[in-house]
Amino acid sequence: MEKNIKTVEISHLVKKFGHFTAVDDISFDVYKGEIFGFLGANGAGKTTAMRILCGLSRPTSGQGTVAGHSILKDQEKIKRHIGYMSQKFSLYTDLKVWENIELFGGIYGLNDKQIVSKTDEMLKALSMENARNMFVRDMPLGWKQKLAFSIAMAHNPEIVFLDEPTSGVDPVTRRNFWELIYKAASDGVTVFVTTHYMDEAEYCDRVSIMVDGRIEALASPALLKERYEARNMDEVFSKIAGRAKREL
Amino acid sequence: MKEIFAFIRKEFWHISRDRRTTLIVLVMPVVQILLFGFAISTEVHNAVVDIVGDTTDPIVRNVMSRIEGNKYLSIGEIHDMPSQAEARLRKGRAKAVLFFERDFDKKFNSDGKAVVRIVSDGADPNTAQIVTGYIQGVLQSEQLALTEEMIGQGRVSMRPNLQLMYNPAMNSSYNFVPGVMGLILMLICSMMTAVSIVREKEMGTLELVLVSPVKPFWIILSKLTPYLVLSIINYVSVLLLAHYVMGVPINGSITLLSLASLIFVGSSLGLGLLVSVISKTQQTAMLLCGMGLTMPTMMLSGIIFPCESMPVALQILSDIIPAKWYIIIVKRIMIQGVGAQAIAKELAVLSCMMFFLLGISIKKFKTRL
Amino acid sequence: MWKYLLKKEFKQFFRDPGMPRMVMVFPLIIILVFPFAANMEVRNIRLAVVDNDCSDQSALLIEKCASSGYFKLLSIAKSPAEAQKTMDRGDADAILTINSGFARYLESSLRTGDPIPVGIKVNTVNGTRGSIGAQYLNTCVSSFIASAIGGIGGASVAGAGQFEIHDSFRYNPNMDYKVFMIPALIVIAITMMCGFLPALNIVSEKERGTIEQINVTPVRKTTFIICKMIPYVAVAYYMVFTCLLLAWLVFGYKCQGSYLDIVIFTFAHILVMASFGLLVSNYSENAQQAMFVIWFFSMVFMLMSGIFTPVESMPKWAQVITYANPLRYFAEAMRAIFLKGSSLVDTWPNLLSLLGLGSITTTWAILSYHKTA
Repeated sequence: MEKNIKTVEISHLVKKFGHFTAVDDISFDVYKGEIFGFLGANGAGKTTAMRILCGLSRPTSGQGTVAGHSILKDQEKIKRHIGYMSQKFSLYTDLKVWENIELFGGIYGLNDKQIVSKTDEMLKALSMENARNMFVRDMPLGWKQKLAFSIAMAHNPEIVFLDEPTSGVDPVTRRNFWELIYKAASDGVTVFVTTHYMDEAEYCDRVSIMVDGRIEALASPALLKERYEARNMDEVFSKIAGRAKREL
Repeated sequence: MKEIFAFIRKEFWHISRDRRTTLIVLVMPVVQILLFGFAISTEVHNAVVDIVGDTTDPIVRNVMSRIEGNKYLSIGEIHDMPSQAEARLRKGRAKAVLFFERDFDKKFNSDGKAVVRIVSDGADPNTAQIVTGYIQGVLQSEQLALTEEMIGQGRVSMRPNLQLMYNPAMNSSYNFVPGVMGLILMLICSMMTAVSIVREKEMGTLELVLVSPVKPFWIILSKLTPYLVLSIINYVSVLLLAHYVMGVPINGSITLLSLASLIFVGSSLGLGLLVSVISKTQQTAMLLCGMGLTMPTMMLSGIIFPCESMPVALQILSDIIPAKWYIIIVKRIMIQGVGAQAIAKELAVLSCMMFFLLGISIKKFKTRL
Repeated sequence: MWKYLLKKEFKQFFRDPGMPRMVMVFPLIIILVFPFAANMEVRNIRLAVVDNDCSDQSALLIEKCASSGYFKLLSIAKSPAEAQKTMDRGDADAILTINSGFARYLESSLRTGDPIPVGIKVNTVNGTRGSIGAQYLNTCVSSFIASAIGGIGGASVAGAGQFEIHDSFRYNPNMDYKVFMIPALIVIAITMMCGFLPALNIVSEKERGTIEQINVTPVRKTTFIICKMIPYVAVAYYMVFTCLLLAWLVFGYKCQGSYLDIVIFTFAHILVMASFGLLVSNYSENAQQAMFVIWFFSMVFMLMSGIFTPVESMPKWAQVITYANPLRYFAEAMRAIFLKGSSLVDTWPNLLSLLGLGSITTTWAILSYHKTA
């Protein structure tokens, strides 16, 4: 990662739903090409925070920029520079693989020629050439994930947001998926990923742990293990998040 | 047995949690019966009649004042030229035009005969027929008066005695409100049931429940129970409104009516269940009930258009719609005040439908999953 | 961007298991089945007779009524009570009671003011059917009596002036209910297609989560919404013209007015209905609620639009409500164009109202649709 360029800058972000404070004054920065892990128990506020960064939700107070644009005023501009993969994978299940690629490619402004070449490139990289005409609903879970990720990357965004991208998948497929993430990061894309698989936390450059809406820790996995005298991230997590009051 | 009650309790919790939907389902029928009960009517009020004729003529003036005095008609505009009247008809501003021929007075008194032409907007044949009928009635009264003037009272007015049975005031609501009751009860009940069950199917919680040691038959019945209760609440509110607000009488036995309604609700539940079995998504269930059930029921079951006026083929088709039988029962009990004997046939048919629908949908339910 | 979104919408539309089939079937049902049902004509009035006079004259009267074509004569009842039971059971619509003394009445002197020994009872649960039945019976009896005594006293009746009444019915000389209902049924079909379906579509995208994926892209919400509507607009036009074609092929009905007017009105109506559906789904917490609310409004719109029963027959407060009902304007205009050949010169108030409603609902729908919550 390039420590000089910040792609995400967040300061004192708060999000309330009525009386419930989902995100309670968080501040952090993320650097270009960094793999930033956003950890926390269910209900800690991770997804809410991520949705604000993506421009899907408006913060109650606080400010920040994503890819150089304000999260308060320029949500639409942000969307041009980011990619997103939601927990539900959000591809159109009644469309074929190549049709999904075409749709999202076109939405992000790729022209027909670019779409065609991108499609070929992507299918080759994912070894899915034979699945070109398969309906997404007929694909196994691991394939859907990889496809969703590739589509999120298709328009070369600066930052890609991944919300629990590997839930429900076997360890081998998860490892493969992370290969894709590494590749993207080495190409200079900032990867912002939420997860509650603690072994994945080890793969990140830096990790933040949210508890009850606040960031309780923010550092590289190595530093955190040292600080909390833990052998692995699992232990770090239990020590920090064990104090959590909120859990879904 | 204990488990079944547990299931039933759980179903009620589901409903009480989704307060908005429950509210919608309880309030909708009330609003609908109020709106439709009053709005669906074929009575003609103040139909606009234009005149083309010489208004200095006393006969013309008499007819005009009779029309004004008639509660169903009212005078529109008076024209010199027929073409103006035609334009009014085309724009829909007048329902009929009354043409008195030229030199009407002279022709009437000297020649003994003068032509009056009633030209009505035939687009809606029903209204046209009624309006023409009223205008003819007015002309006949005027005719009568003039003739009596001439030859003195006597046997000129020859009418048999007329008794209007069951609905002497000829309130349109007597005819339509039972229909609306049936429509609302059936559609809301089956929609509610179908969509909720399909929702559980989609979410996967249905499978969970079916894996339990309780027999599927009881599970299904427990599923239907809350909708039964809601439908009963709807029935009561609709009946109360129909009687107290819309003035539809309850001349027969309420117990009998409620029994019939219970059976009808049962058949609607069966329909809803059947729809939920064949639908894969909530969308499909909604479409099947909202469009697939609504349209035929509205058009064919005698709610608005009388079954007797339909061609035989459609009458046979309407026989398979439960709502048709229910509405007949409701009208007979409420308005005609008859007893169980008079509706025995319809009640039997309705009961058979209920058993059939429930039976077939429960069977399909078990096999589909 | 439009190109790709449109491609997606059309593909999804045709791949839906039920949709294309429904679109094909609907026009057929609307033209081939429903018009035959939609009929308020009073026919086949079942007549029960009680004959206490048992004379030639009474038999003649019964014969006259039976052959008039209005009635279906049931068997002659043995007593008034039995006839009444028949009516209670719903097997008779009217009862003609000829009391003893009928034949004598016809032969007796003209100047007596005795009442006629004939009674008519009609079932007025359906007021129209009852009153028309009464009218027919009345006419039959009165004209029978008049012709029976006509020879004797008729001369004195002549001499007074007589109205010669001609009646005719414009636009629909055969009093054919079908041609009146078909334009209105088309309106209903379009309403269901364009009101129900796009809203259901958006709500299910919401529930599936794909809408979030779109919200995160630079696609403008207006673009997304319009692209979603376009297949349904296309479907609506397809249905209108298929129905018109079928109506011509099957019944020979031709549209008296201009097709362009129909196109314009259809568009205005689609605008209102589709944006209304979107509006409802924007405010609903889940698909179930959205669907119920939309169904509720569809029912209200349909039944209070003048399609089945006239707006003029409604109480004043209900008529006021219909001013906000797009179907009222559309159905009225469709009927005027199809049956009367009215042009925009006559129908412009309807168009203006539709467009007015449309601009309100569209603006509100777009404003209330948030890509960012």
